[in-house]
Amino acid sequence: MINLVDELVLLTVEDDGAVAYTAGRSGFLMSAVGACLVELNELGRIDADLEAVRVLSAEPTGHPALDSVLQAIEQGPALGIKAWIRRLTPQATDVVRLSLAALASRGILQPSESRFLWVLKTRRYPLLDGSEKKEAKLRIVSTLLGDDIPTPHDSVLIGLARVGGLLEGFLSASEIDRLSGRINQIGSVDLIAKGVESAIREEQLEVARTFLGPV
Amino acid sequence: MNVSIESAEGGVSVARSHGRLDFGASAEFQKALEAAVAAKPKGLVVECSALEYVSSAGLRAFLVAARAAKAGGVGFAACALQPSVMEVFEVSGFSKIIDVKTDLAAALAAMA
Repeated sequence: MINLVDELVLLTVEDDGAVAYTAGRSGFLMSAVGACLVELNELGRIDADLEAVRVLSAEPTGHPALDSVLQAIEQGPALGIKAWIRRLTPQATDVVRLSLAALASRGILQPSESRFLWVLKTRRYPLLDGSEKKEAKLRIVSTLLGDDIPTPHDSVLIGLARVGGLLEGFLSASEIDRLSGRINQIGSVDLIAKGVESAIREEQLEVARTFLGPV
Repeated sequence: MNVSIESAEGGVSVARSHGRLDFGASAEFQKALEAAVAAKPKGLVVECSALEYVSSAGLRAFLVAARAAKAGGVGFAACALQPSVMEVFEVSGFSKIIDVKTDLAAALAAMA
C-alpha cells in the first residue's frame, strides 16, 4: 500500500501529469507535512499528544520525504503538533518533490520535462496507468458513502484531502456539501491531523487580519 | 499499561485498561480489544477510569478496535474517561465516532 504522504501527493497529479493543488496551496502543503507526521507516528518513529511531538526512534524509514521530516524533528526544539506543522511547512515543497520522486521510483509516475513557450522548463509527472490514484479516489468515495468506521489511514487521508483542497479534484461542490456531515464526522480522527486543521485555520485568520484588520 | 477483559451482564464484555496508552502499549491494547471483538460478544465496553494517558498512537488503536467491532456487529463504547483522556477524544473527533458514557453502568445500560 502507498503511504499516506505519497497517496496525498498522488491525488494532486492530474491526467496530463501536471501537479495541481486545486485550492489552498498552503493548506495542501501543511497537509503534506501533517501526512509525514502521521506516517512517522504509524511507523513508530514519533508519538504525539496534546502537548508535544516526541521522537521515539531516529532510525531512517528509507523514504526520503519522511526521513527529512524525522531529521528536522529530531534536531529541533520540543514543540507541539501545530507548532511543528507551521515550522515544517516552509520545507513542504521539498516533501512534495521527494514524494513525487518516490512515486516515480515505484513506477507509479513517469517524470518528464517539457518547455513552456519554448523557453521555460516545466516538469510533469504523467501517471503510468493511474490505477493507484483511481483506487485512492474510489476508497475515499466509498468510505464517504458508506457508514463504516474508516481505517486510521483513510480517516486521515479524507481529512487532509479536505483541508488541502484535494476533494474538489474529483467531487463536485454540491457533492462535498452533501457529504460534509460525514466528512466532518470521520475525517481526521487523529490528533496530528487535527493539528493540521488547526494550523490551517490559524493561518487563514492571520491572512484575514492582514487584509481586513482585526477579525 | 495493561488491559484485562471480563464478562459482564447481558453478554457484554468489559475491557479495563490501566496506565498509559502510548505507541509502546498500543499494539498490545489493540490486539486485546480485537481478540475480545472476535469472541463476538453483544458489545464491548472499554472501561477507562484507570487509563491515565492516550497518545496519537493509542487513539489509533482505539479506532482500529472500534472499526473491527462495527464490522463484526459488536457494540462498542468507552466509559469513565479521565478528563485528560476525554480531552484527547474530543480534540481528535473520536467522541463523534463512538459512544462515550460517563460510567460503566451507563455504558452497559446503553447496550442492553
